[in-house]
Amino acid sequence: MNLLNFIWMITIPLIASPVVYLSGRLGTHEVVLQRRSYLVRGLALLAILLAWVPFVFSVRTFLTGGLLEFNIESIWLRVDGISLLVAAMVLVLGTMVILFSGPYMAGEVGEEKYYAMLLAMIGLMIGLACADDLFNLWVWFEGMAVSSYLLVAFYREQPASLEAGMKYLVQSAVGSVLVLLGVALVLANAGTLDMSGIHEAISRSEVNRWALLGAGALFVIGFGVKVAIVPLHTWLPDAHSQAPSGISAMLSGVVIEAGLIAMLRALSVLPGFSISWGILFMSFGALNILYGNLLALRQTMVKRLLAYSSLSHIGYILLGLGVAFYSGAELGAQGAFFHLFTHMLMKGLAFLAVGALIYGMFLQNDSHASLKVTDLAGAAQKYPLVALAFSIAVLALGGLPPLAGFMSKWQIFVAGFQVQNNWVTALMIFMALNSVLSLAYYAPLVNLMYRKSPSEQVLAGKPLPMAITLPLLLMMLAVIVLGFVPQLMNWVTAPAAQTFIAMFGR
Amino acid sequence: MKLTEINIILIGIVSLLGVGFYGLLITRNLIKVVMVLQILVKAVVLAFVFSGKVSGNLGLGQSIAATVIVADTIVAVVGLALAVQVRRRFGTLDAPEISTLRG
Repeated sequence: MNLLNFIWMITIPLIASPVVYLSGRLGTHEVVLQRRSYLVRGLALLAILLAWVPFVFSVRTFLTGGLLEFNIESIWLRVDGISLLVAAMVLVLGTMVILFSGPYMAGEVGEEKYYAMLLAMIGLMIGLACADDLFNLWVWFEGMAVSSYLLVAFYREQPASLEAGMKYLVQSAVGSVLVLLGVALVLANAGTLDMSGIHEAISRSEVNRWALLGAGALFVIGFGVKVAIVPLHTWLPDAHSQAPSGISAMLSGVVIEAGLIAMLRALSVLPGFSISWGILFMSFGALNILYGNLLALRQTMVKRLLAYSSLSHIGYILLGLGVAFYSGAELGAQGAFFHLFTHMLMKGLAFLAVGALIYGMFLQNDSHASLKVTDLAGAAQKYPLVALAFSIAVLALGGLPPLAGFMSKWQIFVAGFQVQNNWVTALMIFMALNSVLSLAYYAPLVNLMYRKSPSEQVLAGKPLPMAITLPLLLMMLAVIVLGFVPQLMNWVTAPAAQTFIAMFGR
Repeated sequence: MKLTEINIILIGIVSLLGVGFYGLLITRNLIKVVMVLQILVKAVVLAFVFSGKVSGNLGLGQSIAATVIVADTIVAVVGLALAVQVRRRFGTLDAPEISTLRG
């Protein structure tokens, strides 16, 4: 029972989840209700802060070359660069979201369920990143998916949320069936599901290459639903726009990325297809970028616009990974992982800032309306800090130097040029042009907030509490600092990229 | 093709998958959608028992099958719970009728 072991970053949130739920069900007397809400919030925040302790110690062990493993019988959990990256992302955004949700979710029916599911999702995502067995990976993945269905449909009084939740559930469930078929195919051919074991078994014996390719295709499609690769993306805009704002931030910032990590882990057991995956990832990446941008251009709802921008950012990440697959260049993978991290910060900040505006303008006035783009007009006059945070977030998403988004896109860009292949170069130029195109829908938002006269909703808005502005402030600082000093994240992106190259070693 | 055990199971998997995917395309009732998803999961369960058998690792295949049943029951429960809420708010279970989010 060493509390500093990495396994505690998975178990603390998972144990805290039922505790938080039960503490929220204590007593039904009117007087208790108010205090109970504080108890639930406090416990959730305490749990996530506690989970930082094993994380910090795991990082220290990892950087000094120590081994981080845990097993129950033959099921292993191992920490490598990618797990650490995911854990860092999940914990940073999770802490911010729990802090932010305090006032945002206060007084909602079933507040305790919200925190319980959120904590469970956090623990399951870190577990997913550490799984070292194909079936185990699926179990974590499915657990994360179930908790996210419930969170998307959290406002069950709202028809639109229910619709989004149902769409999300059906599409994800079909995706996970496809993943399972892929796992069954691998099991039939390799006789084991341990990742390194499969590698050995496949390289030792004569296996049917087509069966492996089929399994790979099933993994790409199955996990692709969660990653929102373009023809499989239809759940994403609905789910992201209808969930509570904190959950939109989690979904866009870490859940779809966790799906991507799961896809990479699953593909890594099938050796010898790196070039094919590279071409596939790069083409889907380009498609995602273009499609996300074009649809974001014509959105009138702010959260929906941000959801489509998530599609295009997944495209950048796929492009970076594709370059790494194709050429074996560590820089491409490092750029992609850095973009994973910065996208988490930027999109998390954007969704939380929108959430803050929704809180001030609608929730405080007992309305659950969606924030329209036109409602943003003149928001800077009443909410200067939120407007600044939102502007910084969207400008960073658009890739304006010297903010964080520019730095990570630039790393992918450079890695692409170093491949010295005309097609890849063309794709990189396409990506840069699209990055400029995306400013066409980000810049008007900033313009609207600062230069227009306030809308009715802004005038009727209420002031914001500290717990909402503090996470915005912290994340805004992080986006700016990472823009000036991008090498700050090298300690985790470089090992993650090395892990990636080792997984798909050629 | 001779009707050996292996072939019968293979036919079972493929036909369950066929029924499932066809059902997904034509079903409009949300409860039936959840049922169709369960048919797909049953195909997967069979596939795991099958792949356990052909790879000579029957125990692993069966234990995975049991885990899949448990995990997907949870998904079915959540799906049905959502369907109940949909019926309460919309007064219908017809998928196209509740579809309002577009673009």
